[in-house]
Amino acid sequence: MDTLTERYVQEVIRRIPAASREDVGRELRATIADTLEARDEPDRAGAERAVLTEMGDPIRLAARYADRPLALIGPDVYPMYVRVLTMLLATVLPVVVVVSMVADLVEHNDLGSAIGSGIGSVITVGAQLFAWSTLAFFLLSRYQRRDERARTTAWTPDALRSVRRADRSTAGPIASAAWHAVLAGLLVWQQLAVPYRAANGDRLPVLDPALWSGPAWPILLGLLGLVALDLHRAFGRVRDARSVVGYLVAEAAFTLPLAWVVRDRSIFDPRFLAEVNGHWTAPAAWYSGAAVIILAIGVLEVVKRVRESRQAGQDC
Amino acid sequence: MDTGEAIASQAQELRRGTVVLACLALLTTPQYGYALLETLDAAGVAVDGNTLYPLLRRLEKQGLLTSEWNTDESRPRKFYRISAQGAAVRDGLIGEWHDLVDTIDRLTKEA
Repeated sequence: MDTLTERYVQEVIRRIPAASREDVGRELRATIADTLEARDEPDRAGAERAVLTEMGDPIRLAARYADRPLALIGPDVYPMYVRVLTMLLATVLPVVVVVSMVADLVEHNDLGSAIGSGIGSVITVGAQLFAWSTLAFFLLSRYQRRDERARTTAWTPDALRSVRRADRSTAGPIASAAWHAVLAGLLVWQQLAVPYRAANGDRLPVLDPALWSGPAWPILLGLLGLVALDLHRAFGRVRDARSVVGYLVAEAAFTLPLAWVVRDRSIFDPRFLAEVNGHWTAPAAWYSGAAVIILAIGVLEVVKRVRESRQAGQDC
Repeated sequence: MDTGEAIASQAQELRRGTVVLACLALLTTPQYGYALLETLDAAGVAVDGNTLYPLLRRLEKQGLLTSEWNTDESRPRKFYRISAQGAAVRDGLIGEWHDLVDTIDRLTKEA
């Protein structure tokens, strides 16, 4: 029988646990027939359509029968899911990436390969963290009993405190200082150590040596300025308007020339690029896109500092 | 949102929990799904079929209702009836209900 009702019933029951399919199916058919009979309309097809419309989306109805939330991650565990995922991406991911890059560098003594390995582990480890924690919380949200769910995710004001503490801690500024120091170190190191070994045995720097007659200097000074400001922020706890101006100057010195040479496609040593890319050249749009991202990050950093100094001003 | 709409939406929230109590109160005599929906409708308890039918099964799973297929008539129907545990829960809920009414009465008189 391929009536509209039958199709509707099938749509509902194939989404509920197998054990109750037959029973729910019988009951639904009887109920729909009862409703139709009570309407007693001459236009049977039209009435059937109207009754099914009132019953609503079969997916929703099936979810009600199965007594489960419609979203992949139910609302009870969603906040915890977001917190755990953020924590993993902010702590485990950078550690794994740094370790894999160092391991690659020790093994091959080749910066290009280490960068490739770093990018590779960002993508694969990031995707794995995301996929596994999503699966774990999906299962938690489906199979945990309701009262247990309420217990494990009940919000207490204690949750607020840890966020505030993190905000005031020195961890953020120190991580930021370390990041800018690493960037500055890499910039100098790749020029002095000429880490890339070309096919013909020549050792090449990664970035264009021509940068050192111009843009490399403000970039380097900007980075060092940011390191100094971050350390000052971490230990001196000064977050006033003057430090915001400092950040603005340092960030501009670092970001503007960097964005310019990226957009201008003069960032990499042409010999290095030819070795890595072969004869394939990246489209100009990639470089422009990267330049826009660099600028956006710079602007965001300054906005963050402005906001921080305002908050600090209010707290005083 | 005007006042009428606001009342309607708040009243819906208010009534949501009372459907279970109404079902437990009515199912002293066995009923099948659609007939119960009609009875509730006539009594002024607004509930949709797509809410009520899954609800009946859930209450059965929780042991508050029992069910039986009646195949005497041309159309087999599943009849629900309150269990002993369901009757105890119903009595407890009725007590809760009266307490709530008293509390709200007291609060609105004071206001």
